[in-house]
Amino acid sequence: MTLSSKLSKVIWAGLVLFATAANAQAVNRSALDAALIDQIKATVIKELRDSGEIDQAVDAGIGRYIERQRAQAQQREQRQVASQAAKLRPVSKGRDHIRGNPSAAVTLIEYSDFECPFCKRFHATAKQVVDESKGNLKWVYRHYPLDELHPVKARKEAVASECAAELGGNGAFWKFADRFFDLTPSNNRTDIDVVLPKIASEIGLDKAQFASCLASARHDSRVAEDVKDVVAAGGRGTPWSLIVSKSGKTYPLSGAQPYATVKQLVDLALLDK
Amino acid sequence: MRCHLKNLRVAFGQVFADHSYIALASMLALLAFLLAVWFPNLGLLAQVFSGSNAPFKATVGMALSLLGGIGTNFSLLSASYTIAIAILFGITIAMIVYLVKQRRTAAAGQSIAIASGAVVSGVIGIGCAACGSLVLGVILPSLGAVGALAALPLNGEEFGILSVALLFVSLLLISNNIAEPITCGLARSKKIQLHQ
Repeated sequence: MTLSSKLSKVIWAGLVLFATAANAQAVNRSALDAALIDQIKATVIKELRDSGEIDQAVDAGIGRYIERQRAQAQQREQRQVASQAAKLRPVSKGRDHIRGNPSAAVTLIEYSDFECPFCKRFHATAKQVVDESKGNLKWVYRHYPLDELHPVKARKEAVASECAAELGGNGAFWKFADRFFDLTPSNNRTDIDVVLPKIASEIGLDKAQFASCLASARHDSRVAEDVKDVVAAGGRGTPWSLIVSKSGKTYPLSGAQPYATVKQLVDLALLDK
Repeated sequence: MRCHLKNLRVAFGQVFADHSYIALASMLALLAFLLAVWFPNLGLLAQVFSGSNAPFKATVGMALSLLGGIGTNFSLLSASYTIAIAILFGITIAMIVYLVKQRRTAAAGQSIAIASGAVVSGVIGIGCAACGSLVLGVILPSLGAVGALAALPLNGEEFGILSVALLFVSLLLISNNIAEPITCGLARSKKIQLHQ
């Protein structure tokens, strides 16, 4: 039985009762009014309740409300991710350190701290994913030294990596980063006065020029720019990465997540054309 | 202490004789563990499940692979206390539910208060597990406490250990209430009488 036919039955029952009530009113109007109205109300409510249609209508209404709320929350989430991604500086070959195929469809932008043990772990993971990506993924390294946790050293090491890039190009930057993470124990336990010149000479840089670059502080502002970027984009710790598809869809990944996760996210981003 | 441990054993026997409490404790422990490991990437999970065109199997696979973060995104210490917190949380809440069902709400109140403190401490401890994360990066800077955390010997992992301790204390208190609430007190008073 449809809702409309049930409702019409209920209304019909209500009208019959109302007509009876109207006749009764002629006899003793004021005394019967309240009782009749109550009787009509009770009958209509009982009929609606017994039919179960009211429950179904309420359930459907609640379901629609929950669905609406969920859709709005999803839209809010997507808008937030999109607006944060929009705040990111676009990847540029001249400014960024890129590993892998520079024209790859998917980009992994990593914000990292040289003293963070989890960044050390994630460095190997990201390297493996890029190496196995068959040219589908490029890895962009940006700085996010956590001064509160790793004062002085993390920022100095970030600047040192920029000096390596200045003196030896993109290749030297990645050699510096790989060697640094291989050699150092993290958590602010690196003896930077020994380790930085050692790596510089190992990767074939001029030690004197490297020392002069470090002392000049000319790359401090570049590191500060990266930090400003990541904070604006929503990064709240390291390593913090963004996997960006060709269409610009962005997946934020927090922490040193396992190889399987990074690989699956890259595959997901490859589906976005 | 031996008395408390005895009460713990008795309370365990009493509560978990009913298999529904084992199921409840296991479910809560699993939920707490999932939340702890997914915590830094809840936004990503929401995005992948709601806004991507990926097949359902791939999205579920991605969520499950994130659980591997317990091995890569946690230190050995933080992974250990995260698992311990999840298990103790499940057991504690199941036992509190048992107490409340026995209409011993007043006894449960104290344990609930301690367990709540343990949960807050646990969240901070888990938040400090990686370099940064949500709690350390969002909540604490507004309190000006990041520097203080960094000054701690374990960079805030102390909160995770504190959480385990608080949950254990809470568990002992609940056990005392469930088993023989006055057993330990009586044993002490008898001893005092003997000395006199």
